[in-house]
Amino acid sequence: MFGLDYSWLADPAYQQWLLTGVINTLKLATLSSSVAILIGMLGAFGLTLRIFWLDALIELFVEVFRNTPPLLQMLFAYFTLSSLGLRVTDPSTGLSVPLLSAFACAAISLSLFGGALAIEAFRSGIETMPRSIIDAARSLGYGRWARFWRIEAPIATRICLPALTNILTNLFKTTSQASVITVPELMYYAGQIYNDTFRTLEVMILVLLIYVVLVSILTFAMARLEAFMAFPGYGRGH
Amino acid sequence: MNRIDALIELDNVRKSFGDVPVLKGISMFVQKGEAVCIIGPSGSGKSTILRCINGLIPVDKGFVRVGAHRVHEMKSERQMRALRHQVAMVFQQYNLFPHRTALENIMMAPIQVLGHDRAEVEERARKLLKKVRLSEKADSYPGQLSGGQQQRVAIARALAMQPDVILFDEVTAALDPETVKDVLFAIRELVEEGLTCILVTHEMKFARDVSQRVCFTDHGLIVESAPPAELFDNPRDPRTREFLGQVL
Repeated sequence: MFGLDYSWLADPAYQQWLLTGVINTLKLATLSSSVAILIGMLGAFGLTLRIFWLDALIELFVEVFRNTPPLLQMLFAYFTLSSLGLRVTDPSTGLSVPLLSAFACAAISLSLFGGALAIEAFRSGIETMPRSIIDAARSLGYGRWARFWRIEAPIATRICLPALTNILTNLFKTTSQASVITVPELMYYAGQIYNDTFRTLEVMILVLLIYVVLVSILTFAMARLEAFMAFPGYGRGH
Repeated sequence: MNRIDALIELDNVRKSFGDVPVLKGISMFVQKGEAVCIIGPSGSGKSTILRCINGLIPVDKGFVRVGAHRVHEMKSERQMRALRHQVAMVFQQYNLFPHRTALENIMMAPIQVLGHDRAEVEERARKLLKKVRLSEKADSYPGQLSGGQQQRVAIARALAMQPDVILFDEVTAALDPETVKDVLFAIRELVEEGLTCILVTHEMKFARDVSQRVCFTDHGLIVESAPPAELFDNPRDPRTREFLGQVL
């Protein structure tokens, strides 16, 4: 069809590469998304404390990781962290390997990048919350920590879910850049396959479709979560 | 009045927001079981007085005591926990937590802050919902309730803390006229049961009916304080007369 040749797809080796690639992409996306959300919440909590030096520190973190290309961050992480000289002996092969694999470096850098964006999203959720809700929580005796986790975070999370969906889909797509530092995810194997077969267009179309499907599942799940968590009586909760 | 016996005591309380002085030396005493209304023009510092009593706003100068708590000396939220247990507050904008049902809104703080037993708190919460005549709304979320219903849930939530004092901050100001009477009915019951109440209100008729004493504030000072019959019928200060002339 259209002169496209997908006969290579019958090769079990290529199928295996694609499958492994998808699994590693999912692993990397899940891990870095989870850590990014955690960083986002902790960072936003830190900002509610209004401690001068902590504010400055969090702002600096956000500026650095939000305002630089994630690919650069990943390369930076790869070449600094892996050259720290932390090495362990792999028990299965007996070889000395870096403690932080390319995958670990990618996960760390994506977590920090996503975390910086998530801090801003959660912060916007908290700042949108009426000041009087916080007065109510204080007048009921909630301390800072309990107030954040019981009241501010649940409300802010609902407010910032659409923004969070954007961040997570972007983060998912950014995992493809980990191929540059040899993380064997989907994009990496795609390269391997077209270098082998010279079927660049065919491979790219297939990989594109796989990303569309995977990211659509994510956005669908987030939309469901948004509907599920909506405040009854407001917006989607009607 | 004997200030040592008073449950609540404010002495020369001063507070500025930036360069704007809001309280310029407020002194008042409230006895246990007394219902005191604070009336006055917008911006005269009424709500700020309430917020200084429960420590939501730190005072710049002066003395604030509630029971054994010396509020003006408290610095952290941790120190204020016992105070918040004793003094509850109901707000103009209800401020229910939108992600929790009416019943959960009432139960949250007694369980999460006071550490009371869940089953006992639920029983208490259901009784309070019945008291404000909203038993059938236990599982409704704030967004599904009318303003008046939300405000009555907020009153039940305040009562669930088993406070000695409730501060009411213009609690009917955001409501439509038909629902105002349900909320006022609920408050009147509390006053009649002998709960100490301080109410900032624009409902002059209610203030006259329900309170034992009315304080008129203007420009950060309590201009006049008297039993309602006296203050409304024979105001002594010209500023009180002018204000009442405008609102009555």
